[in-house]
Amino acid sequence: MEKPSAVGRVGKVVAIVVIAVLTIYPFLTVISTSLSDSTDIANANGLVLFPLHPTLAAYQTIFAGGVVTAALLRSIVITVVGTILSLAATVGMAYGLSRRDLVFGKFILLVALFTMLFSPGIIPSFLMVKQLGLLDSYASLILPVLISAFNLVVVRSFFMNLPQELFEAARIDGAGDFRILSTIVLPLSKGVLAVVGLFYAVAYWNAFFNAMLYLDSDKWPLAMILRQYVLLGSPLNTATAGEISAPSQAIQMAVVVISLVPILLVYPFLQKYFTKGVLTGAVKG
Amino acid sequence: MVATTTRRAFLSYTALGALAVVTAGSLSGCGAQSTLKAGSVSNATLPNYTAVKGVTPDLAPTAQGVPPAFFNYPKNPYRSVKSPFMKGQTVTGITNIFGPPPTGRSSNPAWQEIEKRLGGTVDITAVSSGDFDTKLNTVVAGGNLPDLMLNDGAAIPDIIGFLESSCEDLTPYLAGDKVSAYPNLANIPQVFWKQTVQNGKLYGLPIPRSMTGGSGFINQTYFAKAGVSDTSTIKSSDDYLALAKQLSGANQWAFGSTNFGLPPFLHIFHVPYNWTEQNGKLVKDYETPQWLEAISFVQKMHAAGAVAPGSEGWTKQQMQDAFISGKVAQIYDGLPAYGKVGGYQQTLPAANPANKATPFLPFSAHGGKAMVWLDNVDFAWTMVKKGSPSHIKLVLQVANFLAAPFGSQEYLLMNYGVEGTDYTLDGKGNPTATARAALDTAVPWRYLAAGPNALYSPQFPDAIKVLHETYAKLIPLGVADPTQGLFSPTQAQKGLTLGQTMTDAVNNYVAGRSSLADLKNAIATWKSSGGDQIRSEYQKVLSKSKKKS
Repeated sequence: MEKPSAVGRVGKVVAIVVIAVLTIYPFLTVISTSLSDSTDIANANGLVLFPLHPTLAAYQTIFAGGVVTAALLRSIVITVVGTILSLAATVGMAYGLSRRDLVFGKFILLVALFTMLFSPGIIPSFLMVKQLGLLDSYASLILPVLISAFNLVVVRSFFMNLPQELFEAARIDGAGDFRILSTIVLPLSKGVLAVVGLFYAVAYWNAFFNAMLYLDSDKWPLAMILRQYVLLGSPLNTATAGEISAPSQAIQMAVVVISLVPILLVYPFLQKYFTKGVLTGAVKG
Repeated sequence: MVATTTRRAFLSYTALGALAVVTAGSLSGCGAQSTLKAGSVSNATLPNYTAVKGVTPDLAPTAQGVPPAFFNYPKNPYRSVKSPFMKGQTVTGITNIFGPPPTGRSSNPAWQEIEKRLGGTVDITAVSSGDFDTKLNTVVAGGNLPDLMLNDGAAIPDIIGFLESSCEDLTPYLAGDKVSAYPNLANIPQVFWKQTVQNGKLYGLPIPRSMTGGSGFINQTYFAKAGVSDTSTIKSSDDYLALAKQLSGANQWAFGSTNFGLPPFLHIFHVPYNWTEQNGKLVKDYETPQWLEAISFVQKMHAAGAVAPGSEGWTKQQMQDAFISGKVAQIYDGLPAYGKVGGYQQTLPAANPANKATPFLPFSAHGGKAMVWLDNVDFAWTMVKKGSPSHIKLVLQVANFLAAPFGSQEYLLMNYGVEGTDYTLDGKGNPTATARAALDTAVPWRYLAAGPNALYSPQFPDAIKVLHETYAKLIPLGVADPTQGLFSPTQAQKGLTLGQTMTDAVNNYVAGRSSLADLKNAIATWKSSGGDQIRSEYQKVLSKSKKKS
């Protein structure tokens, strides 16, 4: 392979530095603004690059009173439980639909795919949740979104592309479907499970809309609470002296940091599976 | 109207986009009439005003609506509701919340104390204003209406149909002297009740504000340096333009606000508030020569480099940052943003001790008396679900508690929490909040029912004086919208879209992206796309109500 010229190398370095700056700059300003006081923010036109008077006041405001801490715990539980249940349901359904001899398999798959094109709408969903007695329960955040058709298709495609000989050999050895799934399919599917698990986890972590519709404020997850901080404030003309003041930009940026940290912590561990898993489901099948 | 397309309205519009069709069906499903019809304000009997004799303010209120002002919280707050009146019942409500949710009831001493004083439970569904329309319409469709429902003016398309089918007519309970059974509600002046009258009946409880949102703020230091210490003395729009040019320079502009912050200019040129009556006929502000003159003036200012470029697209935060940092000398924001903690009177000197903010006092473009709008009369009002007379009375008693005036024990409890836990009293009797107070007192009681406003800030008495003085000057100059409280089906269905189109047309013209002819075309389009229909609907109701009165 030909060694790149000095100009080429310099060009690459410059390009990489530019891309790195473009990537890092927004993160840096978000973190710096979250650590600044209102005067520094105003003087920097809203986005601070380096905090001149660093303060943790925004974080203290957000974490004061325990509302955010409690919501953080709720969100972790909802995300963990929801992801486990979603993965279990998706794997089960995908495995069934990946079997070519399943009765009404295509029809069931079409029904699942139909939900990708047409969602039930807010009010029908609300009425369904209400009739199931799930209003103001954490189950209302999980059950209506238990299976994502997209994730189902990804996992099903992966299962369908596993060597059929393995299934046949297992059946000859007397294994049933549950045994095939647990001892053959799942160990071979770590990559796709990691990716789909991440999709579900991110979706549960970020979900706020169903919480707004179905839950009272004392059960809101973190995403909903943080959103309140971002939306905090009153429209022009309507606030009165006793009302809570408009958000400082520092609080809004601190909210962004807080909501990003957990996913950022998980991401590096799953990254190696990410490309492989998505491509597997996307191009084969 | 351009100037009154607020964040709330915009969010309502976007949130309703997906819901509009479904909602109409849902409301019909719960009994509303399938065809929209108009409502009038005239023939209801408003509750008689009886001021509570509780405390003496430092600066007196006026009959026109100037709020009382207090430099300290009154010592020995009085109890406005004598004893618990609920017998373990539950009253439910849905309303706005601004900010994080409160500490839950089980660990919130203020919430517990309030319910102890009530003798029952109040379950509140708190929703941010951006989500309110979605949530309320969903709750309505679900059929479980709460007892108290905030009507923010945008959530329910067929408000009259909904009121008639699902909400209690409060006229038999509150009209005239009947309101005396609820002294704190009787303490709300009649001007604040007017919007709650729909189709000739009293359908709600007002959440009063301070009559006018004012005309924005100026950097007093900059204006004084330019030789103007009182903007109300400016003699003409030409003088103001010369001043604006003087205040603009390198990276600094005389004016800058979201959507070009038009109201101050509309005030200066005496543009009516939304609609006006001319020879018995309703005329929209866009159709008046004053409006075109005002917009052309802003365009001239922009062309002269006196308006911050791109400011039409600013968020409120960007506008505040620009004003606080001294980049713009004048902005448009509501008067309540002045005297509170974190208000402009505090933030400008904090950023630069030489700078000082004061409210902008409008002048008249062609000499004579100035004008402002009465655009902040009520925050919104609360509807009461239909029920048995005994339950309605119970709900009204709860509302009476929530409307406890400034100076009462109940007001202190709802706004500052429990003494010792949420606040301590300083030597002058002013509550000083503890760390937990903010979330303990975040329960949105004040967005279900409230008493009249009071100006209060022990930290900034000078700001309170300035505000009181400003209200005293501006309210007598106030012009009301003759369609306030009237209902137009077309306005409810198309008003936001039509208003946004006009906002875009104005922004494009002022920023130099379109011509005056384009702006005039936009007005013609507004008329043909629904404006004339809105006019005829309002006109019909207005004429009907005049005949009745």
